[in-house]
Amino acid sequence: MQRTLPFSENRVFVTGNEAVAWAALAAGADIMFGYPITPQNEIMHYWTRLAPAYGKKFLQTEDELSAGFTTIGGVLAGRKAFSATAGPGTVLFQEPVTMAEMMRIPMVVIIQQRGGPSTATVIYSQQEVNLAAFGGNGEGWRVVYSTANHQELYDYTIKAFNVAWTYRFPVFVLGDGYQAKMRESLVMYDPASRGMELAPAEAVVGKPGRPGSSRPAVHLRNAFSVEEELYESIMPGEEEFRSMARRVVEHDEEGTRGAELVIISHGVVSRAAVAAIKRLKEKGIKAGYFRPVTIRPFPEEALQRAVALCPRLLVVESALGQLARLVKEALFNRPVESFDTIFRPGVGITAEELVEAVIKIRQGGTTCV
Amino acid sequence: MGIREAYVGEYASGKSEYAINRALSLCGGGEEVTLVDLDLVEPFYTLRPLREELSAVGLTVIARDSRETAGLGETGNIFEPSARFSLLRPGHVVLDVGYGAYGGRVLNLLEGYPHPDLRVFVVVNAARPFTATPEKIVQFVRTFDRVDGLVSNSNLGDDTDLEVIRHGNEIVRAAARALNLPVVAAAADERFRRDLGDGEGLGAPVVYLKRFMHRAFR
Repeated sequence: MQRTLPFSENRVFVTGNEAVAWAALAAGADIMFGYPITPQNEIMHYWTRLAPAYGKKFLQTEDELSAGFTTIGGVLAGRKAFSATAGPGTVLFQEPVTMAEMMRIPMVVIIQQRGGPSTATVIYSQQEVNLAAFGGNGEGWRVVYSTANHQELYDYTIKAFNVAWTYRFPVFVLGDGYQAKMRESLVMYDPASRGMELAPAEAVVGKPGRPGSSRPAVHLRNAFSVEEELYESIMPGEEEFRSMARRVVEHDEEGTRGAELVIISHGVVSRAAVAAIKRLKEKGIKAGYFRPVTIRPFPEEALQRAVALCPRLLVVESALGQLARLVKEALFNRPVESFDTIFRPGVGITAEELVEAVIKIRQGGTTCV
Repeated sequence: MGIREAYVGEYASGKSEYAINRALSLCGGGEEVTLVDLDLVEPFYTLRPLREELSAVGLTVIARDSRETAGLGETGNIFEPSARFSLLRPGHVVLDVGYGAYGGRVLNLLEGYPHPDLRVFVVVNAARPFTATPEKIVQFVRTFDRVDGLVSNSNLGDDTDLEVIRHGNEIVRAAARALNLPVVAAAADERFRRDLGDGEGLGAPVVYLKRFMHRAFR
């Protein structure tokens, strides 16, 4: 059985799903619990191909509810457990994920977004932003990384495990069907070779000794008897979430200073935005780009600073305003000169379309429909 | 009787790219050339967006249009009848078989299979982690029921360089020797034509590929 990773800083050609499976291995994951759904299936397929060689485990459960709760079970037993899902599966995952929020259990779930509502398409979308960030009954105590390419799928999957096990909040890596299926090269690495320390897993159940006498008892609760009891639990939890958020929040930004307009996007669409501002620059038009890398916590302060530099905005997403809602909340009470949008639920957005849109806005038009 | 060839391989090995180019190379000889998309699991991600373009240059392409697909990947799909009977078509037939070793089993569903003229080639990209060493390639190729040869197709997409091609080709050749199979072609993006010339030293006929599939993912 191989114990060490088969690569050291190797450039390889993979699909996004494959990048995630290798990243989970690199992050020290022990077991995946999963239920098949396109477009995440190959995460499971590749993990099951890797598992025997590296002494890892896999269990296919009867549905996503079960996949979520068995993942929690694995974590309580001291294993780094994870799962992956999409679309309607992400809906079912909300119950176990809120349990992880309430009981402060680390958990990693990869979401490869597909079209919605309901079964819709298996292909692509950005319609799971609401679900990923705020889908549970509660306050959205989760971290959501929205990736844009295979290198990021690899890097942020590793990071997701570390953030989850460091701060004990559930972490989603929010990809999509395009990223899942696309093929591109990336550098795979062993985190140790880059000096990254992996946060250790710790068993909650089955520890030696007698709880309450020879060792402290662990009592994780997700049910409370009275209103005040719940309130007294939630408020410190919120404080810890906010404190974690300040350390975890991430964004990417380019050319916002002196820009005529800033394109705001996330995930794979931001690839089109980056390409568009480059092409616009060639045409002598200075456009900036802003991208939340963490959808939750949202980089509110960074966005406010960017908008103070350039108050003309174009929000683009493959959904009907799920990102735009977060942007508006972040900019509440801030002066904005213009707010255009391109909302294309379940459909990709190209750099050419963005170039055209920016030119139209400059000429006094609007992209809003 | 025309050529009957099936291209199989690891997910993202370049099967479809090679199959398209192979089919195009057979065009113009007066015989009908049919390219068949045999990805039953996920027909949405394969030849579908390229069908019109390939048909325009004279290929007969059997691939479902997105609006003709029924089923959603994991729930199964309806097998296109013209694909099922494709081995019996006149002229040359090139099969693009999706989804790895499991996808290879789709050949069992074809009318006329096993076909005496059918040759099955595994397309191998040594820059793919699961086929990165001769041992891994041997292990992978042995998961198929029958294989007549390997196609060496090592690449990193846009990030490919000569070293990736040459080093990958050596790995594939070593695997072929261990498997006692021929390497029937050493494939490379056409942008390497000037560097690789007639492919001397590659140990197999060089085949330059025009890239189509990157557009299927745009």
